[in-house]
Amino acid sequence: MYTVVIGVIGADVHAVGNKIIDHVLKEHGFNVVNIGVLSSQEDFINAAIETDAKAILVSSLYGHGELDCKYMKENMVEAGLSHVKLYVGGNIVVGKQDFTEVEERFKKMGFDRVYPPGTNIEHAVGDIKEDLADA
Amino acid sequence: MMIMNKKLSKEEFFKKREEIRSHWPTGADERLEFEKAVALLKSVPDSKNFAKKLRFAKEHDLTMIQPRAGVALVDQHIELMQFLEKHGKADFLPSTIDSYTRQNRYSHAEDAIKQSLKQKRSMLNGFPAVNHGIDGCHKVFENVNVPLQARHGTPDARLLSEIIHASGWTSNEGGGISYNIPYAKNISLEDTIRYWQYCDRLVGLYAEEGIELNREPFGPLTGTLVPPSISHTIAIIEAILAAEQGVKNITVGYGQCGNITQDVAALQTLDSLTNYYLKIFGYDDVFVTTVMHQWMGGFPSDEAEAMSLISLGATVATLGNATKIITKSPHESQGIPTKEANAEGLRASKLMTRMLKTQRYPSDDVLKAEKEMIEKEVKTLLYATLNIGKGDFAQGVIQAFKHGILDIPFAPSEMNHGKILPARDLRGNIRILEFGNLPFDDEIKRFHKDALEARGKAEGRPVSFKMTIDDIYAVSQGILVGNSEYKEPSL
Ligand code: B12
Repeated sequence: MYTVVIGVIGADVHAVGNKIIDHVLKEHGFNVVNIGVLSSQEDFINAAIETDAKAILVSSLYGHGELDCKYMKENMVEAGLSHVKLYVGGNIVVGKQDFTEVEERFKKMGFDRVYPPGTNIEHAVGDIKEDLADA
Repeated sequence: MMIMNKKLSKEEFFKKREEIRSHWPTGADERLEFEKAVALLKSVPDSKNFAKKLRFAKEHDLTMIQPRAGVALVDQHIELMQFLEKHGKADFLPSTIDSYTRQNRYSHAEDAIKQSLKQKRSMLNGFPAVNHGIDGCHKVFENVNVPLQARHGTPDARLLSEIIHASGWTSNEGGGISYNIPYAKNISLEDTIRYWQYCDRLVGLYAEEGIELNREPFGPLTGTLVPPSISHTIAIIEAILAAEQGVKNITVGYGQCGNITQDVAALQTLDSLTNYYLKIFGYDDVFVTTVMHQWMGGFPSDEAEAMSLISLGATVATLGNATKIITKSPHESQGIPTKEANAEGLRASKLMTRMLKTQRYPSDDVLKAEKEMIEKEVKTLLYATLNIGKGDFAQGVIQAFKHGILDIPFAPSEMNHGKILPARDLRGNIRILEFGNLPFDDEIKRFHKDALEARGKAEGRPVSFKMTIDDIYAVSQGILVGNSEYKEPSL
């Protein structure tokens, strides 16, 4: 059973997707540590350290994702979490933008996988299991 | 001091005001001196006064339209506002405030303004009105021809409210419950009710100077399967709290549910019940209007489908006689819309309000029954809140949320019980599956249970949380009642 940290980053209060991700990942047997909305990078990192998590799933719906996720990977490495997988999903930038470009920007920032708006979390479960099995 | 639903004294207000003006440098602007702000607001023409235009709309039985919109920089924001006025035919303009400002993180907003200048695109999801101060906000006011309103989601909007009104913006959205429970994690209701009493008192003080401003509690709450009786009860309580502080022009809101009859029943009762309870509790001279928000949950990503949903929203709002509609855009599921997409949502809505101008939803037994149920539930929730507050609505709200007598589905706030679960019945009406501690009697509970059991039977599955999840996704997938186990019959 893998431990994963989930939450919504920054000043974002979109709670519905977070509650559903929590429910679905538990159904799939994950040990889910949900830090909820309005969570900072440090909140994610501390939770991952405390629970020895294998992955962090960042949600960002409200558009400030690019600002809120800046240097997150660097901060994780500094905290000794370079082995922890880092995912992001939701409506992670402001406005309707070409997703391949957005994906590239976030991959450059160190995210392992980047999901477009409206991704059904069921579809991401397979990716996560695969990545963690390899790790 | 324990918070009560009681008008703040002038001394209390002006003492607090000094402190609030020191929260950010723009608060020191001398145009925030009360007499100066009064003079400016007195010079606002009726055509740019939100409260007066709403009176006009109601008198002439019109349904008016307003978008959501806001970007980081003043000049771009003005360009956006002018575009929506001209090409979207917006009757009212908003300025949607960014999320850093909403959490009072003004220095974050300052950084983002700099980033936006550098990157030449808005890095914020709204207009940072506090950082731009009266300089920026008044410039926006001067460059549009219709009334302006701040739309946000700010638990502590005291400085923001001061700045926007002193800049000539004649309406403010929000309230101590509706801008806390859906928008915060661990701010107490005691605090947010206090903050919003301040914002309402400010409007009340302007009223004493003969200036009518509009206030609008945020009706849709989490926008996710909220039963009408719950959002109505909260709207009515916020109207009462505002009226106590001297607010005279209030717009109560409701987020479209999707079943046309339930939506019309909700709009009609929102108007009648708010007027009724304001009078019952001693506020005789408040002018009430209603606003319907087009579908507030997850949208379909296909733009044609999104536009169709937008038109349905405009249709029910007009048939249900709402005074105003908050419109959505075909970009809703993806991100903050371009000004073009935003204007398209407006124009599609405007067409419906014009075509249906003389039509109203016919009254029949189904509509009547739906209205009676909403009335009964609201009465139950309202008096349970008043009772647990020992006759005081401010205390009542705090206690009611603590005990789950008021409970909002899917809210992020820890002040909320989060024990109730909604789900749709066969016709798409929003019903309640888990009641938590809602103080409903057996007759009400039976009504909801029967409706959901009928759905379960028709779908051949037990009534459960699975239905709720399916319903959350449904509209974005182009249906109203969700069923993940359903296979479309094929010829
Ligand atoms: C409901 C809603 C609200 C409600 C939220 C209630 C609450 N507290 O939860 C209310 C009305 C309060 C609200 C407020 C605001 N909202 Co809003 N909201 C929505 C809306 C309509 C639906 C969101 C939703 O609940 N969907 C249902 C859930 C189940 O889906 P989901 O959230 O997308 O999550 C799923 C997937 O994305 C995925 N997923 C999510 N995260 C991750 C992470 C990983 C790793 C993976 C694999 C998958 C994954 O899995 C989830 C479950 O399947 C969306 C637009 C839309 N989608 O149609 C806008 C939207 C997200 N909101 C938006 C904005 C901007 C705001 C506001 C700032 C107001 C404004 N300026 O208009 C405020 C936010 C205040 C704040 N501080 O955060 C914008 C964001 C714009 C952008 N990114 O460019 C959107 C896109 C609307 C728009 N087009 O403008 N909102």
